Amino acid sequence: MPQDDRPAVLDDGALARRVAAAGASPDAAAEAELCRRLGRRIRLYGLRHLCDRHAAADLVQQVLLLTLESLRAGKVREPERIASFVLGACRMTVLEMRRGVRRREALLEAWGDRAQAFEAPEPIVLDPLRLAGCLEALPERERSVVMLSFFADKAADEVGAELALSGGNVRVIRHRALSRLRDCMGAGEAIR
Amino acid sequence: MTCGKPIDFEALVAWWLGEAPAGDAIEEHLLACAHCSGRLEWLAALSHGVRAVVREGRVSMVVSAPFVESMRRAGLRLREYRLDPGGSVDCTIRADDDAVVSRLRAPLAGVRRLDVVRAQDAGPEERIADVPFDAAAGEVLLVPSAAWLKTMPAFTTRTRLVAVDEAGETQVGEYTFVHSPG
Repeated sequence: MPQDDRPAVLDDGALARRVAAAGASPDAAAEAELCRRLGRRIRLYGLRHLCDRHAAADLVQQVLLLTLESLRAGKVREPERIASFVLGACRMTVLEMRRGVRRREALLEAWGDRAQAFEAPEPIVLDPLRLAGCLEALPERERSVVMLSFFADKAADEVGAELALSGGNVRVIRHRALSRLRDCMGAGEAIR
Repeated sequence: MTCGKPIDFEALVAWWLGEAPAGDAIEEHLLACAHCSGRLEWLAALSHGVRAVVREGRVSMVVSAPFVESMRRAGLRLREYRLDPGGSVDCTIRADDDAVVSRLRAPLAGVRRLDVVRAQDAGPEERIADVPFDAAAGEVLLVPSAAWLKTMPAFTTRTRLVAVDEAGETQVGEYTFVHSPG
């Protein structure tokens, strides 16, 4: 029975190997699938470290360009460990972005129109009316902890200092609140 | 889409909120794993959703003073009222207000649990149990849903602050808001 080599069924490492093997004659299907998968994850890394949606979208573009460029040029030593390479690229690019270095322009120049083909991954959007209802249904203290954590971006110890609670207590309340929100929003077991 | 070694949800939350150091193991796993990055995506959506809900004034809250500063830093336009116990205020919300903050002053030293009890016009009392408060500042900050408030005709709300302990309940302040549409 022939082996299924469609990009969608390959793991990340196999996809990366395929992109690397294609070299200067790009395997468009493999590259598109690899970018689709990695783009979402790089965006999340960017949101966590850059705290800005536009900067995260920029990070996706820069890291995907760098990753493809390196795979095509045979510069990734272990394509099967592509996540490790992408993590390094993310860290370096975030540092550069914080220093104001614009690497993307140079990469765009090197790769031309092909580099502009990456589509920004569409983020999940929660229904705002439903979320508001679920937040309203939380006990006041749980709602306060959620608001301070996710609106004001505060860690448990900072939230605790504002609400006269210990950091450990905040984590317990936050855990309970997130559990209620997941159930209320219908996110279910997949998120746990 | 499964994962043989899923990241503990609490660890995921801690990483997302910057409580945990950005270590290689968790970050490489998240960049390699569709299952765990999918769970993280829900957290990211929640963060974005909570910000949107606050910005759009879709939820009522009892908040801390630093939270009000966070709202201000986020660019929200706030209308504030300050009341002492027994106080009354004519209040409103205008189209260009993003939120109304009511600062209720009260003697809160030694209070361990505080409830807010309020009634609109002649309606029944509604109790919000165990609200956050600043005992040192002697202040409770209420932020009603701006989206709801903007739809309301004239009405009057009586709000009581009630300290609760093993011995029972003690009212520490009563406040009247006379709302008229903006």
